[in-house]
Amino acid sequence: MTATHALVPAAGEVGVVAPPGGDPGRWELIRALGALCSVAPPGGWVISDALGLRRWSRAEHTSVFVLDLPPHASIHLGPEGKLGGEGADRVAGMWRALGLEPPADADHLAALLALYAELGQAGDACQRSDARRRLDHARHALLAEHLMSWLPGYLAAAGAQRAASGWAALTAAAIRREVDRMGLPDELPAALREAPAPLRAGDGLSELLDALPAPLRTGFVLTQADLVGAGRQIGVGVRRGERSFALRAMLGQDPAATLAWLGAHARHWVSLHRHSTFAGPAQDWWADRAASTSAVLDSLARSVA
Amino acid sequence: MPKRPTQPPTPDLGALGERVSAARAATEARGETFYQGAAKTFLAGFPPPERWDDWVELDSRAWPERVERHAMLVPTTCFNCESACGLLAYVDRSTLQVRKFEGNPAHPGSRGRNCAKGPATINQVTDPDRILYPLRRAGQRGEGKWERVSWDEALDALAARLRAAIVEGRQNEIMIHIGRPGEDGFTERVLASWGVDGHNSHTNVCSSGGRTGFQFWTGIDRPSPDHANAKVIYLISSHLETGHYFNPHAQRITEARAKGAKVIVLDTRLSNTATHADYWLSPQPGSEAAINLAVARHIITTGRVNWAFVHDWWNWREYMEARRHDGPQTFEAFQAALAEEYDGYSFELAAAESGIDAAVLAEVAEVVAGAGTALSCHSWRSAAASNLGGWQVSRTAFFLAALLGAVATPGGTFPNAYNKYVPRPIHTPPHPKVWQELSWPLEFPLAQNELSFLLPHFLKDGRGRLDTYFTRVYNPVWTNPDGLSWMEVLTDPDKVGCYVALTPTWNESAYFADWVLPMGHASERHDTHSYEQYDGQWVGFRQPVLRAARERLGETVADTRSVNPGEVWEENELYTELSWRIDPDGSLGIRQYHESRERPGEKLTVYEYHGWIFAHSVSGLPEAAAAEGVTPLQYMRRYGAFEITKYQGALYAGEVPPAELEDVRVTPTGRVYTAAAKPESDNLVPLGAPPPDDEGRRPVGVLVDGTVRRGFPTPSGRLEFYSSTIAAWGWPEHALPGYIRSHVHPSELAPDQMVLLSTFRLPTQIHTRSANSKWLDELSHTNPVWIHPKDAARVGVARTGDLIRVSTDIGYFVAKAWITEGIRPGVVACSHHMGRWKLTGHDQVSPGGMMATVELGRGAVGWSMRVRERVAPYSSADADTRRIWWSDTGVHQNLTMPVHPDPISGMHCWHQAVRVTPARPGDSHGDIAVDTGKAREVYRQWMARTRPAGTHSPDSTRRPVWLMRPLKPAAEVFSLPVATGTRR
Repeated sequence: MTATHALVPAAGEVGVVAPPGGDPGRWELIRALGALCSVAPPGGWVISDALGLRRWSRAEHTSVFVLDLPPHASIHLGPEGKLGGEGADRVAGMWRALGLEPPADADHLAALLALYAELGQAGDACQRSDARRRLDHARHALLAEHLMSWLPGYLAAAGAQRAASGWAALTAAAIRREVDRMGLPDELPAALREAPAPLRAGDGLSELLDALPAPLRTGFVLTQADLVGAGRQIGVGVRRGERSFALRAMLGQDPAATLAWLGAHARHWVSLHRHSTFAGPAQDWWADRAASTSAVLDSLARSVA
Repeated sequence: MPKRPTQPPTPDLGALGERVSAARAATEARGETFYQGAAKTFLAGFPPPERWDDWVELDSRAWPERVERHAMLVPTTCFNCESACGLLAYVDRSTLQVRKFEGNPAHPGSRGRNCAKGPATINQVTDPDRILYPLRRAGQRGEGKWERVSWDEALDALAARLRAAIVEGRQNEIMIHIGRPGEDGFTERVLASWGVDGHNSHTNVCSSGGRTGFQFWTGIDRPSPDHANAKVIYLISSHLETGHYFNPHAQRITEARAKGAKVIVLDTRLSNTATHADYWLSPQPGSEAAINLAVARHIITTGRVNWAFVHDWWNWREYMEARRHDGPQTFEAFQAALAEEYDGYSFELAAAESGIDAAVLAEVAEVVAGAGTALSCHSWRSAAASNLGGWQVSRTAFFLAALLGAVATPGGTFPNAYNKYVPRPIHTPPHPKVWQELSWPLEFPLAQNELSFLLPHFLKDGRGRLDTYFTRVYNPVWTNPDGLSWMEVLTDPDKVGCYVALTPTWNESAYFADWVLPMGHASERHDTHSYEQYDGQWVGFRQPVLRAARERLGETVADTRSVNPGEVWEENELYTELSWRIDPDGSLGIRQYHESRERPGEKLTVYEYHGWIFAHSVSGLPEAAAAEGVTPLQYMRRYGAFEITKYQGALYAGEVPPAELEDVRVTPTGRVYTAAAKPESDNLVPLGAPPPDDEGRRPVGVLVDGTVRRGFPTPSGRLEFYSSTIAAWGWPEHALPGYIRSHVHPSELAPDQMVLLSTFRLPTQIHTRSANSKWLDELSHTNPVWIHPKDAARVGVARTGDLIRVSTDIGYFVAKAWITEGIRPGVVACSHHMGRWKLTGHDQVSPGGMMATVELGRGAVGWSMRVRERVAPYSSADADTRRIWWSDTGVHQNLTMPVHPDPISGMHCWHQAVRVTPARPGDSHGDIAVDTGKAREVYRQWMARTRPAGTHSPDSTRRPVWLMRPLKPAAEVFSLPVATGTRR
């Protein structure tokens, strides 16, 4: 967070204390919600206590935020569904545009929300309207481009995990308040505008296995926990390993059932996106992408039945 | 369009935000951390200090059971290279044993990050082969028979020898030879208290060449590049950034690159650093200074010189007076003269010398010229440590910074003294009144450091003998060139009466010792230190972590041995004890320097020693400690480091306060002398000590635009473009930054010879202790010879892994070939730090040991070493020793290298002219043959290059008094011995 100190406006732009109208609690809430997903217990208990959330065990925290749902924008906005790469570069570019050195995990939700809070706090401290406008504009861009482009889907997935549901609901509420206050542009975020093509029925197995763990390709989030549940539901073994490895094994055992389950999973996500409390073109894009994937998977399932 | 759902009831976010704000304020008011960083789930995360007393982790070995392990986190500093990075020892609260080491986030230099060598400290602590008790030789030297003795027996015997030598005026028969540096200035002060000029270091096989070039410019012998803020980073070789200050520098170079800095690496070999460079130049070894000068010429001819800086801060007036005295003594005339001096260093000339295309050099020069005052440059070992005249490599590298005014600027290059802090100790004994000829011979009056690697030859010459010779975490047989000559003198009691190895581990030298005394690793000893790693000053504290842990639990520990494994000790307590035994009644004047101030007549304890330093000599530390309600010593025990200053900036430009200007005299060139006494400083960082004027006034600064400013600790007070010292002491042709053709210049090589480059190592290797770090050994355990495919084809080496013979002037070694385009044609390269061995018949001293077992024999043509057994799995207290999957240990090439002392810097010039051939029938990997008779011949040839003080001293002294020198003797013993005379 030290990097964001550069955001503090130059002399003459700031008052000694936040002027009337500043809302430090608003920013602290955002910062705290982000920090919770990065600080493992018991380090984060002081924060969860303050938020009135239950204390996570280390295993719960690791399960959600390290293993199943690492909260990185690049995983959700990159063409391969992996850390780093184009998704991370885009976020790092935002930091650099602000004259800040991007931290090591610049696209981690904790870093993004901390930056959002710092921008808000710095804006509150501004006495000059042009400086404030500049900071507000940056915060709006951060919200629209780098948070709302993926966070609703992520929070939907996290909300499905018992341990994280309270945190996810509170985070969604806090972000929704920000969206309500800031508004969102009609245009899609760049990451979605420039997204790779959706799955096609003619894609080979390797292409399919590469694409399924990548939300940007499929429109859905597919966790290890989802696969374990799928295995139990359709009666196939789930081999330990990367998700594409596990999927390959599942498809090898019962391709029709596995593809059918995946198609149903996609449809479930169409519904999640469509019924999200976050309205806007981005949610529509995600829903369309999941619907497209669902159609392809259903078609594949029929072809192997 | 599906109907969007009704939003769920929203919690009162405003109230919640206020509650979080209040909780944060309350937490931080308690001095605790509310947001503990992006921690724990990331490698970059660290335990917050408030939880260092009881840190809880799950025991990975107990998985899938969830077993909590509670640890105290105790800081110390790494002992595995000079960087002294911060470590946190995880001391298990139930067993009070160290479980692991990780980075200390409170350390300003390393900032919580470590290279592989830091965590590997746990291997050294638990090494089944480590030395745990004092041992005395039981058979002949080198026979491998030992008996365990008590510390009292060892100390009494050694104290008796040392006392006799001191009382009988044989101070020069006592020597302590340092390997891995411990506490800044500690051993020097011990020796000074004994009145002995017996400090010897490994620096002349390490960094003297690099230091020399910087010292002649700035009066300070190390640079401190501000890599993190540089626009262009110019590295002559990659050594420092991969092997020395690897971790602190590498992380800052990485930061600079992320901000767009360009990295230029001159390294004949494709090093790790070179792979990250924007420009990798692979020059003919020894041509680096020619490249630097071509870049300098480009800066001059394209008008990018920072003339204002040059005008104010270079000693151009001395140059004009000495070299251009017939012409006008104006700055304009100097500007013209400068261009003229370097006009010959065209890109074409540099290309011819280096083998690098002139267009590439021109492109690089333009990048350097565009750096302005944000050029950080560095040259340490490699080229500066490898070539005859290598010291001109660092001198010409700094020339670039000096031309651009990139000196002590953000992103520029600082003198290290700006960024280093050596706190004043409780006692400061006077300078010894003797001169050690074995370390500081008359032939090398300008040598940067002790001529340590020539010691065997000096002893063979009969220049002296050693009654008691200590090595301290040092392995001279293995580290130095010509190691078998070392072995010859160490086994000759007429030359070395008693050899004492203070060492944590067995090594190739300790086998020949009379006493082997166990010393502690990073977590088992006290030291303070400070190194230049960014623009700021810090002090680090190495401490016995189990002692600190027990103190946290309320225990009192009076002797570090009581908490260390076996009877492993530390020097700070050892030397106090030894000094008291040398001078039990204080009559020799020694004991007073090892005595308590609080309790006169009692021994100085480490508590008092370090407590005094931290309370009295480290600016800002007492206040920081008081803010936390602890003593300064407790603060350092808790955090392990303290940052004293940040952003030192251009200290040379600071105004001298009026109180220091008394009865001032200003020379025509602007040097200012004062009669005012020098204010005492708590920072004793080594600097040049320019002499007083004829009337005894001390130099205090230089006059710049009518203001007296601090300047540099050189005779002129300015950056010395022209060195009157070099000129006056017999080397006028090298008084300016220049290019000296190397002893391995192509013109010096026979048609079938190549250059062997041996000055690099892997960043996972410790100088002589990797064999006792299983993780590091597993990572890298062999050192093949890099050879270009063209050369491999020419000499008949078909495949990587084939055995080759590399023949030097005095012998040969057998190694494996690695055919790679990562090395320049005509050059082969072999990493040092590998090729560890133990002698047959010594199994009891290092029963496992990841060293090859060799048979050493002496025949008509010299020594031969044959590998008899390679590394193999073995049973020990450590189950991992049964899992050793490799057998290779590399080859100990240094044995086959003769000594090459540079006549000016005194640095050993490591590069060798060699012949490479396929191995012969019967050759085995690691075999070595050496003729120490030939080694004597080569020694004499290089000694003939010197210009001794006896015939070249301008003032009847042995060496310029102003030059830096470890453990500087009293001024009166600088005078030449009467018989040697003086040049007239």
